[in-house]
Amino acid sequence: MVQMLMRPPLAELESKAIWLALLMLAIGLHVFEAALPSLGPWFKPGLANLITLLALVWMGPRSALLLTVFRVIVGSFFIGTMFTPTFVISLAGGTVSALVMIASWRALPGISLVGVSLLGALAHMTAQFITVESLFIHQPALYYALPPLLLLSCITGWINGALAGYIAARLRHDSFK
Amino acid sequence: MDRGLLLLALLTIGLTWIVIQQSIAAGPPVAEIYHGDTMLASYRLPESGQPPIYFEAEGDLGLSEIIMDADGVRMAASPCSSQRCVLSGTHHHAGDLIACVPNKILIIIRGSRDDRYDAVVE
Repeated sequence: MVQMLMRPPLAELESKAIWLALLMLAIGLHVFEAALPSLGPWFKPGLANLITLLALVWMGPRSALLLTVFRVIVGSFFIGTMFTPTFVISLAGGTVSALVMIASWRALPGISLVGVSLLGALAHMTAQFITVESLFIHQPALYYALPPLLLLSCITGWINGALAGYIAARLRHDSFK
Repeated sequence: MDRGLLLLALLTIGLTWIVIQQSIAAGPPVAEIYHGDTMLASYRLPESGQPPIYFEAEGDLGLSEIIMDADGVRMAASPCSSQRCVLSGTHHHAGDLIACVPNKILIIIRGSRDDRYDAVVE
């Protein structure tokens, strides 16, 4: 018996194409950030997180979380850190950050992308330190270095949130022209 | 809402940082070297003119070579693949740390050179 292959609805295909395009962009930024000189242990500007924010606004929490997980897995494959401590730290930071951003976007009334990004950046850095302390170094003195890196996270989180807000507004505006 | 969040975050982080600095900046500068939760060694950082101190820390992957001199403390060699700990350079401020996660070696600085004198009188 020959089963007819049904073509998926156009809207579904378009949604998948946008998600894949965002994933490719996020992986590109993940690899680019890995090549940047380090400002501190496990500190990155969080540019790839900007794409998670856009996915959250356009496609919802599930897509944003999946995009973060796939971005870390595929990105680690490209930069050669798959299954190393760097991969574990990155996955923990990215996942916790995405979950905090989703929760704040849904639960905090009046919050904008800037606030969501700020909370995500702080959660990312804190989760990385907790992962390193609990899985690898086992030394609470590690947390002495956390406050200055959290201050840097505030700055990068704010900038990324403003950028995401600008991009989201601009694309929405252009799509209605 | 966003500005309130930023202000709250900055205040909390700033206060925590001040409290941590107060607790670890007292006394002369000392480098503590850990493997996991075990302290391997603790050295007072040499003053200008004093000879450097070399220490080899046995980690999960092998030996990490640590040098302490008048400029501070640095990881001279490490068996890890990323070499981020080596590339992070020399550190000398209270609270600075060098972490080699793959080799599970942590170096943290307590104390400050500014604390060498009880009082300065002109």
